[in-house]
Amino acid sequence: MKTKDEERMVTPGEILGKASEMRPGRGAYAVAETGDVYASLTGRLSWLPPRPDSPDQRPIVEITGHKAHGVVPEPGSIVIARVKKVMAKMASADIMCVDEKSVREKFTGIIRQQDVRATEIDKVDIHSSFRAGDIVRASVLSLGDARAYYLSTAKNELGVVSAAESTTGATMIPISWTEMQCPLSGQIEPRKVAKV
Amino acid sequence: MATRAGSAPSTYSPSTQKRKQTRLDLKDPDWVRSDGRLFHQCRPAFFRTGAVTAAAGSAYAELGDTKVIVSVFGPRESKKAMMYSDTGRLNCNVSYTTFATSVRGQGSDHKEFSSMLHKALEGAIILESFPKTTVDVFALVLETSGSDLPLIVSCASLALADAGIMIYDLVTAVSVSCHGSNLILDPLVEEESYQEGSLMITYMPSREEVTQLTITGEWSPTRIHEAMNLCLSACSNLGNVMRSCLKEAAAAASDDTNE
Repeated sequence: MKTKDEERMVTPGEILGKASEMRPGRGAYAVAETGDVYASLTGRLSWLPPRPDSPDQRPIVEITGHKAHGVVPEPGSIVIARVKKVMAKMASADIMCVDEKSVREKFTGIIRQQDVRATEIDKVDIHSSFRAGDIVRASVLSLGDARAYYLSTAKNELGVVSAAESTTGATMIPISWTEMQCPLSGQIEPRKVAKV
Repeated sequence: MATRAGSAPSTYSPSTQKRKQTRLDLKDPDWVRSDGRLFHQCRPAFFRTGAVTAAAGSAYAELGDTKVIVSVFGPRESKKAMMYSDTGRLNCNVSYTTFATSVRGQGSDHKEFSSMLHKALEGAIILESFPKTTVDVFALVLETSGSDLPLIVSCASLALADAGIMIYDLVTAVSVSCHGSNLILDPLVEEESYQEGSLMITYMPSREEVTQLTITGEWSPTRIHEAMNLCLSACSNLGNVMRSCLKEAAAAASDDTNE
């Protein structure tokens, strides 16, 4: 029965089965009173095997939507953002992509001084880490407050991915984890560079 | 619109004098509906998703002559002035085009439809799946010929499903109009204007749950029961039509990506 339903298209509200036989993943939900698992998205049904070490051995049912948009930043996801403004204790950035999918309309995020890097967080100079217009890869720390998501670049692979030199406008080349150099003018500018 | 000989003709506009002179005697048991339908018969419905490419999701629906197009934007960032909320927000707006009614005009006497659409949909959307963000639903009525709000609700839930917003189930809606001892399903504009009472149900067919019930006029409990049963079975049928529309659209979209 499971292989036949493997490629089935489902619509929201369709009953997928009993909660005793499967665990609802993304795009499905269970109702406690009746014990049924329903779909909440339109898309293709897929089954994931349970982790061998987990106590719950029910397979996970997931629904992948046919549209590739509509992502919302979630805590833990890796985002690509463009820095809009650099202030004394934080930098604000526009989130443009979440986990390899681009968003339809930008979300606002901020990178606080203590979230720029993992070591010596009180000695961070934001202006030597980011400049307006830089493209950074960051991870979402939390939903933040009403105005912005909290982002963090406190890992080696997070930080400035692409930056333009301030006078010539050329894309700079990273030369170390804290510096980038312009190929045209030779100017070195400080940034918190991501380890690509 | 008499014109005296020799005078310039007055500008033409659809005249209210064209209304039927005799009042429809809807309590007459032999009375037949103007489009030949039975009392408990709905007009055929047509749905299509993906009508508006700029929106995250959209749907176009026709119920006889009533035509509605709904676009859904989101989940997108809430306005800065809004307070933080750990569940998502829903924002609905229903507007009529100036050419929607038979007399060209503003169509502004349906301002309450926006809040009614909100109440019908908010029970069906899983708001916890998009915290801090807002989903905007914009409904535009292109032509009205009765039973507008039920079609708006059904079309909006189809647009939400098309946008990939997590919902508990599709929401279908049907309204019933009461004329004396007759209950008329899916009334037209003229049947609505002479009605003694109306009942509209918005229903989630697979979950078997009602999200909104609107009653106007005087109803006895037995009549309410009868009308509700009528509506619920019509809603279930409408739900099947909507589901097949969604599946066709999804299958067509996945065929395009596979090629």
